[in-house]
Amino acid sequence: MSAAVFAAAPVIPSFGRGSSCVTDNKLFCWSWVREHWGDTLSKALVQHIELTLIAVVIGFAISFALALAAYRWSRLAPPIGWVAAILYTIPSLALFQLLAAVSWLGLSRTSAEIALVSYTLFVLFGNILAGLREVPADVRDAAEGMGLTEWQSLWRVELPMALPTIFAGLRIATVTVVSLATVAVFIDNEGLGAPIFDALQTTFKTELIAAGALAVLLALVADGLLVIAQRLLTPWARSARS
Amino acid sequence: MKQSTLRIGLVIVAALALAIGIAACGSSNSGSDTTSASTAGTSTTGSTTASTGASTGASTTAAPSGKPGAGRPAVTLGDKNFTEQYILGQLYRQALDARGFTVRLKENIGSTEIADRALRSGQIDLYPEYIGIFNTTVAGDTKVYPTVDEAYQAGRAYAERHGFTLLPLTPFTDTDALAVLPAYARANNLTQVGDLARIRGLKLGAPPEFRQRATGLPGLRRLYGITDVQFFPLTIGLQYQALDSKRIDTADVFTTDGQLQGGRYTVLRDPRNVFGFQNLTPVVSTRVLSAEGPAFEQTLNAVSAKLTTEAMQRMNAAVSIDKQSPADVARTYLQANGLL
Repeated sequence: MSAAVFAAAPVIPSFGRGSSCVTDNKLFCWSWVREHWGDTLSKALVQHIELTLIAVVIGFAISFALALAAYRWSRLAPPIGWVAAILYTIPSLALFQLLAAVSWLGLSRTSAEIALVSYTLFVLFGNILAGLREVPADVRDAAEGMGLTEWQSLWRVELPMALPTIFAGLRIATVTVVSLATVAVFIDNEGLGAPIFDALQTTFKTELIAAGALAVLLALVADGLLVIAQRLLTPWARSARS
Repeated sequence: MKQSTLRIGLVIVAALALAIGIAACGSSNSGSDTTSASTAGTSTTGSTTASTGASTGASTTAAPSGKPGAGRPAVTLGDKNFTEQYILGQLYRQALDARGFTVRLKENIGSTEIADRALRSGQIDLYPEYIGIFNTTVAGDTKVYPTVDEAYQAGRAYAERHGFTLLPLTPFTDTDALAVLPAYARANNLTQVGDLARIRGLKLGAPPEFRQRATGLPGLRRLYGITDVQFFPLTIGLQYQALDSKRIDTADVFTTDGQLQGGRYTVLRDPRNVFGFQNLTPVVSTRVLSAEGPAFEQTLNAVSAKLTTEAMQRMNAAVSIDKQSPADVARTYLQANGLL
């Protein structure tokens, strides 16, 4: 039995030539960006936004619940803070690889998200709790004096007052996740990390610059949106300043 | 009283957080499914237009027609972390897709070691591997085989014992080779590797590990008597520039490198096979192979049969030099060969 399969000689079609800018690997080729926006860059950008949104939303939900618990029972605060800090210090590349080695997670988006979420906890938990604790005692007393229950005071007085600190945490967490998600490519081949990885391997400058610029742009836009959201949610802060 | 309301509130918040978490996890799974489905969608639209000219080659390698894969369980196809593998992943995926099989493609999963681990743990069901690397890295078998058939039979036997099947090899081999500039070959009357033994102080550029590997300098010394060598360690990819600028006389290259097409370099023949055999075989979980039915294997074999060294060089060049996307290059090739 012969090892190789042989058939009629293949037809080798033309695959289309790249522009001379591309084949010479010049610093930046707009022609490539235009041609591959649809099949490479926009796809990676959308995936990157998904990766980031999922991580920040889940990270916020977990941190919020933990911070409320730690606010109510202050003995919980140190252990939760320690665990979050330890997770935060694990080198990202190592954590991604560790999670990928867990057989039921493997090389998947879930593995990537677990790592990304774990990096948001330290900042988000810390800032939500700090924001709540910064609410002056006389404000809480006033709320109680007005007949608000503890729950009402939390939602109507303490949390709104903590919003600036919470948003500061959200902004740091979001920008961090945007940049960390590029490293997640080692276990989950999607997002802007994919074209960056490919560009590094093939020393293709245009792709590296384009994907890197998109990641920076995404971080700036996300940060800007959070600033706008904060302004909308805390109208009193603006009127007090003006 | 107040405390208990707060407690109930906290429980609700915690439950909500958990629910959001679970929902988002769920949507993250479906999210990745949709991405793969949407890319699969583009390839199927391409395939419906060109599914006419199937079955050109010999009967054993004829591609099945119709949609024999419809209703078969989904398979996960992995590929390793370099250009040629991305193209191979797309070629096999799109061809299977066109025959109605449901294929999830996990691209760029990493090195041979990681791909092998993913296959053994069931995270992927198949991936393209080179026979020589399969024998050395996966099977741990460093024996030097005189023919490609013997290398393949050894690999197959190991695979069978471990629950995989090695499908028939491709005509192309992606092995190391020594290349020179055509003018240099003419001036020194070089056609095969052994001719280099005549050159005094041969300037040879290769990745650093070439110095110690059995398929590197030690092999050249033993099989061809090439001893008078000045070694230049070079990063993969930079050896062509070094040849062009005549900093080196000969470079270690890969036979399917895109740079080699068009006759800009002369690849020296290797009659004693110092560089071994690196024809490609889809490594498939035997259990998955039987669950998918014979058309699955036939489809993969029909693709493999069309993968000659020249075809791989041209496809690699289209991706690594002209920066076309692997998916587009694979689709164009499959269409031209009646495999979509």
